[in-house]
Amino acid sequence: MIEILKQIIHGALENLSEQSMKYLPPLLAAVAILLIAWLAAHLARWACAKFFRGIELDRWLRRSGVSEMIDPAGRLQAAHAVPKVLYWAILVAGILTAVNAFNTQLTSRMVEALVFFFPKLISAGAILLAGGWLSRYLSSRVLVWAVNEEIPWPRRLAGLVRVLVMFVTVVATADYLNFARGVFLSAFILVVGGAALGAALALGLGCREQVRRFLEQRSSQETAAGRSLWDHL
Amino acid sequence: MSQNLLSQEALAAVRSIKEAEIVIGIPSFQNVRTVEHVVRAAHAGLAKHFAHYSSVIINSDGGSSDGTREAVLSAQVDETRLLLLSHPLFPINRLSLPYHGIPGKGSAFRLIFEMARQLGAKACVVVDADLRSITPDWIDLLIRPVLYAGYDFVAPYYHRHKWDGTITNSIVYPLTRALYGLRVRQPIGGDFGLSGRLVERYLQKNDWESDVARYGIDIWMTTVAIAEGFRVCQSFLGAKLHDAKDPAADLSAMLEQVVGSVFLLMERYETVWRKDAGSKDIDLFGFRFDVGLDPIEVNVDRMLKLFRGACCELGEIWGKALQPSTMGEVSQLGACTGNEVFRFEDQLWVRVIYDFASSYHRRTLERGLLLRSLTPLYLARVASFVMETRNMYSAEVEDRLEHVCLCYEQWKPYLEANWRGDPLPDASVTRRQVEESVPAGEAASLIGGDEND
Repeated sequence: MIEILKQIIHGALENLSEQSMKYLPPLLAAVAILLIAWLAAHLARWACAKFFRGIELDRWLRRSGVSEMIDPAGRLQAAHAVPKVLYWAILVAGILTAVNAFNTQLTSRMVEALVFFFPKLISAGAILLAGGWLSRYLSSRVLVWAVNEEIPWPRRLAGLVRVLVMFVTVVATADYLNFARGVFLSAFILVVGGAALGAALALGLGCREQVRRFLEQRSSQETAAGRSLWDHL
Repeated sequence: MSQNLLSQEALAAVRSIKEAEIVIGIPSFQNVRTVEHVVRAAHAGLAKHFAHYSSVIINSDGGSSDGTREAVLSAQVDETRLLLLSHPLFPINRLSLPYHGIPGKGSAFRLIFEMARQLGAKACVVVDADLRSITPDWIDLLIRPVLYAGYDFVAPYYHRHKWDGTITNSIVYPLTRALYGLRVRQPIGGDFGLSGRLVERYLQKNDWESDVARYGIDIWMTTVAIAEGFRVCQSFLGAKLHDAKDPAADLSAMLEQVVGSVFLLMERYETVWRKDAGSKDIDLFGFRFDVGLDPIEVNVDRMLKLFRGACCELGEIWGKALQPSTMGEVSQLGACTGNEVFRFEDQLWVRVIYDFASSYHRRTLERGLLLRSLTPLYLARVASFVMETRNMYSAEVEDRLEHVCLCYEQWKPYLEANWRGDPLPDASVTRRQVEESVPAGEAASLIGGDEND
């Protein structure tokens, strides 16, 4: 009995030792890689921040209008944001390399998927950013135009434009990432087509008189008093 | 490069004419109704006043399809009716040429200036093709200071209705005066006399492909002449009447173009306008006289309604363009419900313009958006001005405008600090200084009278 127990314990310890010998070196290597990556990330962040502060990057971005494009509220500071992004990029690269040190099928597949997906993620982010900027720009333009032209409900109109552009951006991003393509596309067709049909029906059936009165009013304003707004300039 | 600007037709004309001491340029586009009168006035002016000079009238056309070019070439002048003291020594040549390049008045002028240079012109006059009030004497008044008094740039000086030319009166004239120190009353008049030297300078510039040369050619020409030290004067031409504007013409687009050009030129000539303070008069030629003018109706209620609506909707955008103190006062103005007591005071208006100029420079907002958002503020200012001057004569209104101009000059340190992004001078102190040195409204006494003076 004691002999059997001794054998089982001896076998378990041998197994443990075998597993440890198998996975300990890669584990130590992974820890070392993470440490190096962490140090490199800190160093890169410090150097980058110093460099951007030296060349007054934020001032240049404000002057050129790029800041206003990305962050109209003015909260984002490139001299802080870019080094932070660099820090995390190096850290994530270090984590991936560390994971790859185990050299198993699972870890290799994980790293592969992440590496191939990463550029697509960046591009999708860029599409969303561009769409966000475009929606803000068009919305502001529509707002100012509607106010100057005395169009009713200018803010709602501007909001509608913003929502529409963002919706199209999200659909385009999902299509690019191959994420629920069918769902987003169908939603887009349904919403836009439905809105167009609804607007046509509403205008045709319910607002004929209002539209006619509005157009008559505008035309008489322009020919009578409205003309005076322009002629004397 | 200059040869490439001229088409084969233009080059052939230059070779044929060889030289012309005076060039009169008429840019046009779809002006068949009025261009004939302008050409006849130009021809008569040359025959009457510059009979001993070789000259050419050049129409630079933007592709008119209504027969404008044919009208230019077929316009007849019966010289026997002009009662000339001497007959012209040289034939008055006449050309109508299409211009190439970006559509707009700037490209039309570029062709005229290039032709003037190729022909060795000593003086060049440019006049609008839609003028109804041009007379042969205009040609004399715009050329004589160049040929006989050594001036390089002759600006027009018109007699206008007190409510006519409000962009000029509210923004362009006082701002240009405060910036560059010369009192050019009509900096965007459109009818100018130029020396060959100044034409040469214009052609050396690289702005012909830009928006400034497209939309802001008039203010560009005036600013280049003043800022680069050319001799500047003005001539009294009488009333300026031109073809009725399209009622659907976009005010916002006009403001964006004209005011945008002024702001862009401020960036170009920053070292010039930051040097000087105050302003001085320039020589005025011609004999001043009063003329009857068509009455102008202004719908003040509609302007104020637009402004009040904009205060609610555009507050966020204005907040980015205006300093907090300016924005506060504008918001208070927006809350004022009574039209009769509505007053957009001069000092506030000046600060609005200076804040917009600085925002334009620092790009706190997209530039087109910034300029278009100025429209409701501008309309509020015009409405206030109209209500204030309803019972004033023209001379009193000029005094009133003088006050506005002095406000622009006194607040210039505010503009300089704002432009650089430095701490601003104390607004209340500046306001007190301005009020002490420029008493508001005391120069203009309100006498009841016909507003259509």
